[in-house]
Amino acid sequence: MLKWTWKSVFSQRGTLIGSVLGIACTFILVIFFDAVWRGESEQVVSYPAHMKPDVWVMQSGVGNMHMAMSFVWDWKADKIAKLPGVKQVTPILYLNSIVTSEQNQIFAFIVGLLPDNKRAGPWKLSAGRHIENPLETVIPDVLAKISNLNIADKIHIADKLFTIVGMSSGTYSSANPVLFVPFSDLEDLLASTGTYSYLLVDADEGTRPEVLVQRIRDEVDKVNVLTHEEFINNDYSMAIQMGVEIIVIMTIICSVLAALIVGFTSYSLVIRRRRELAIIKALGVRSINILTSVILQAIIVTSIGFGIAVFFALFILPYTTLLQPQLTLSLSLSSLTHIGMIAFIVAVLGALLPAWHVSRMEAASAYHV
Amino acid sequence: MFFLAWRQILLEPLRMALTAIALGTVIAVILLLDGFEQGQYHQLGEIVQNRKADLVVTQSGISNFIAVRSSIPQLARAEVESVAGVINAHPVTAIPIIYNKNNTRTPVYVIVYDTWGGPLSIIQGDNIKRGRDIVIDLSLAKKYNLQIGDNFYVTDFEFRIAGITQEAAFMMPFAFINYDGMIDLFIESQIAPDLSTFPLLSYMLVELAPYANRENVARDIEQHVASVDVMIPEKLAQNDVNMGKVFFKPIMGLLVTIGYIIGILVVGLIMYADIRARKRSFAVLKALGFSFSRLFCAVLAQALLLLLIAVPVGIMLALGVAVFIQTMYPLYLIRLFEPVVFLQTLFICFGFSIIGAIIPVRSIQRTDPMLAFQDA
Repeated sequence: MLKWTWKSVFSQRGTLIGSVLGIACTFILVIFFDAVWRGESEQVVSYPAHMKPDVWVMQSGVGNMHMAMSFVWDWKADKIAKLPGVKQVTPILYLNSIVTSEQNQIFAFIVGLLPDNKRAGPWKLSAGRHIENPLETVIPDVLAKISNLNIADKIHIADKLFTIVGMSSGTYSSANPVLFVPFSDLEDLLASTGTYSYLLVDADEGTRPEVLVQRIRDEVDKVNVLTHEEFINNDYSMAIQMGVEIIVIMTIICSVLAALIVGFTSYSLVIRRRRELAIIKALGVRSINILTSVILQAIIVTSIGFGIAVFFALFILPYTTLLQPQLTLSLSLSSLTHIGMIAFIVAVLGALLPAWHVSRMEAASAYHV
Repeated sequence: MFFLAWRQILLEPLRMALTAIALGTVIAVILLLDGFEQGQYHQLGEIVQNRKADLVVTQSGISNFIAVRSSIPQLARAEVESVAGVINAHPVTAIPIIYNKNNTRTPVYVIVYDTWGGPLSIIQGDNIKRGRDIVIDLSLAKKYNLQIGDNFYVTDFEFRIAGITQEAAFMMPFAFINYDGMIDLFIESQIAPDLSTFPLLSYMLVELAPYANRENVARDIEQHVASVDVMIPEKLAQNDVNMGKVFFKPIMGLLVTIGYIIGILVVGLIMYADIRARKRSFAVLKALGFSFSRLFCAVLAQALLLLLIAVPVGIMLALGVAVFIQTMYPLYLIRLFEPVVFLQTLFICFGFSIIGAIIPVRSIQRTDPMLAFQDA
């Protein structure tokens, strides 16, 4: 029976190719959607993840950076800097805003850096230099590419005109391209004299971040203090949560579609081989064996389709960023496993209709002309 | 040809049903992806339009309402109201917050209003009556299981949910408070050295006299008040939509393209399987003298008939899923029937049916008429 199943599947190569490609595409759609969301979520934390201070200090009630607004009095930074176990405190100003170039308007995260503050600045420049003078900016290289911007070009942030002096790598995502500007310019824009947004606190060697967090909480009122891991986790989980419903819905719809394609393929295979199946029944093979064969066929077709989707996801999908540089894709083994399990369910569900059809088949039909 | 194709379709009702549902699901997937994208743009545009202003005053250099910080000096309000044709400049402040409950965080855009600019409609509860009242979006209420009268904490400050509205954009729910609430929030939270750190006045919603000309008054305000820009709401809304397109278009464009490829493959698969199953019939037709072009036309007709059956199935499926999504997750709006996009999708579906029908052409070409005279 196993041999017959195998032969049956590969007897109609055209149908098989169409089916597995259709199934592969539906899974690619799910994997792509998941990879985009995961990639964007990872990029959302790209800036804080690269800064990697031991402790983050922010306004009380604020626990993350993405889409947040935080103000901390400047004297609190001085107070924290004097606490035992603190190596250095790096303040930044931070604003979500729209950046306007000649070609388009883009939502961006703008980080204001104090003079000579390399600690919180771009970690890798692909062109140009760091900001040194007022009204200069470093923008993500991908943003420059998609907006056709070059060094010395101008961009608007509110009513201020900034000159691009550098381009940074790894700072772009559709949700939050990170731009760097001088602290004083952003301070003007925010009208926020005497405040910082976030404080990046580096601990002395041998001081555990958790201990430092508690020390700052004890000494400084009305601030929220988090370890780097907690801070990153808050941002990442929020970004993932924002898209989780849509990913689930897309997975369900695409799985239904895949199940239908599997169902159609299995049904076509069964219909084409109905006389053979009737003969097999007439020869006394039990129905359960035939049903197992039909389900096995569906599993084979789905597995090949899913295999193609995984191959595409691993080896082709990463190159889509060449066509669309603004996309950040991230594949996760756990989500591929998850989709693989769904594929198995899809195969079984897809086989139900043809299996039902086979179970109703009369052995006598083998003798019909 | 259409009659032959129709008879062929009716020959196996179960197969036809399976085919129509499969093809309909492909159409539904594409419609839903398009609808999701259009819904995002619609929400972005509606947020400004729902404020019902004749003109919107922003900080100089700011030309968006969503995802931007606009801060106008408070004295500018009196200056704007002194311009001829302006009856009132209603203040509005926008504050992005992160709502956190049980360690689940959601970015929320809080609109602070006084006389104009409040929630467009209240679907449950009441509008704001006291300083600590807040009106929240339905999606926020559903996500956190919040009811009228429940507490709603913003940076340790306690609001009370007075009403539920339905306004969201850029995948963010909106909430509404009044200026008493905002001042109390800032003062009681003691989160900044002085109130001026926060944008106390982000926008002004200008109410014009009936005789006033919008463009002229906008020009007069910009000449009279240097610290502001003035925009007609439609233009401001369009800017937000354009900003959304920069964000969504590349992602959604690729997803829809994959959807179309699936469509082509599904039609191709169906037609190929069908032609393989009817090889003998095609051989008979060829033996009877039917030309290849006529046989191809029959296949094409069958593909188009299948599409005609599948389109209503797809629309119904998409509609059902859209209603489900909007009921379960009211943050998302699915706009299936945006005329241009809807017709464009149907037109492209028509295109992929034709391409799908071309896939099994070689099989017809290679069908030997002698097959008609062979035993089964």
